[in-house]
Amino acid sequence: MVADVNLKEIQRKVYMTFFQDGLWDIFLGLFILGWGLAILTEAVYLPGVFFTGIYFTIWGIKKWLTYPRIGYVRFSRTSRRRITARFLILGTVVLLLGLLAAVLWGMGTRPQWLADYFPLIFNGMLAAIVCFVAYWARVNRFYLHAALIFLGAVFHLWLGIGWEFGFIGAGGIIVLIGLGILISFLRKYPKMIEEVQGEGRQ
Amino acid sequence: MRAGSNGDQIQEPITKIDKLIHEPSRYTLMAYLYVVEVADFLFLLRQTGMTWGNLSAHLGKLEAAGYVVIEKEFLGKKPHTTVRLTDEGRNAFEEYRGNMKRVLDNLPTK
Repeated sequence: MVADVNLKEIQRKVYMTFFQDGLWDIFLGLFILGWGLAILTEAVYLPGVFFTGIYFTIWGIKKWLTYPRIGYVRFSRTSRRRITARFLILGTVVLLLGLLAAVLWGMGTRPQWLADYFPLIFNGMLAAIVCFVAYWARVNRFYLHAALIFLGAVFHLWLGIGWEFGFIGAGGIIVLIGLGILISFLRKYPKMIEEVQGEGRQ
Repeated sequence: MRAGSNGDQIQEPITKIDKLIHEPSRYTLMAYLYVVEVADFLFLLRQTGMTWGNLSAHLGKLEAAGYVVIEKEFLGKKPHTTVRLTDEGRNAFEEYRGNMKRVLDNLPTK
């Protein structure tokens, strides 16, 4: 029995429920779409607006859509601290990345290689962050999302597709993947209503 | 006697095994509650695949032993039940795992 039930595996299973509904895929996809729209419209604030707006919306939707279907769980204080620390590190990296991009792009005399390969470096960094999430949460499909983000820059550099369209394409595909996961989640887990005397009904 | 002392080595932790936790469904519940701070009824139901009645009965036994705390509240008009492991339950679970490990470790190899 002790050998059969691996606590780490259970912990992992519990973490996985966080990504089961596809909402974080949709969040990522819309954020990437935001980058595409920002380049297209030259509205530099768009990714920030998308990130903040969608982040809070996702939590609201989770409360209304996910918890009545798979239930609610609060991680232990240690786990919560670890998750917060990882999100803070990730947030800082994204912020520094944005600042670096702005500074490098704003430099009058930037090296030629940087100008040539900037999209590849930028998308590569974004993809690396998504890979980090995939590794940390052990959600393998996020590696695919990272590859799509990176491919956006590859297509831009070698096929001549606009950089913004790389973002829009990758973001759009990620949103579609997320929607597919969300639909299958909704089908798999109908809403359950807890009853006071015992048996729950679906 | 050698065989006797080996037998005692195995017997001693076996007698300490908490039979309440030893039941597979309750062990699974305790394991889930051990890795989280609090979970609701629905979450445990989905994760363990138990029926509502079964889950309720097992949690009732764990609550009676003082291993879990079950809190019922209403979210709007809907009932909502949350479950968490008590310190006593956490210690009992750790002790159970330690005892089981010792029993298995003391078994002679083939």
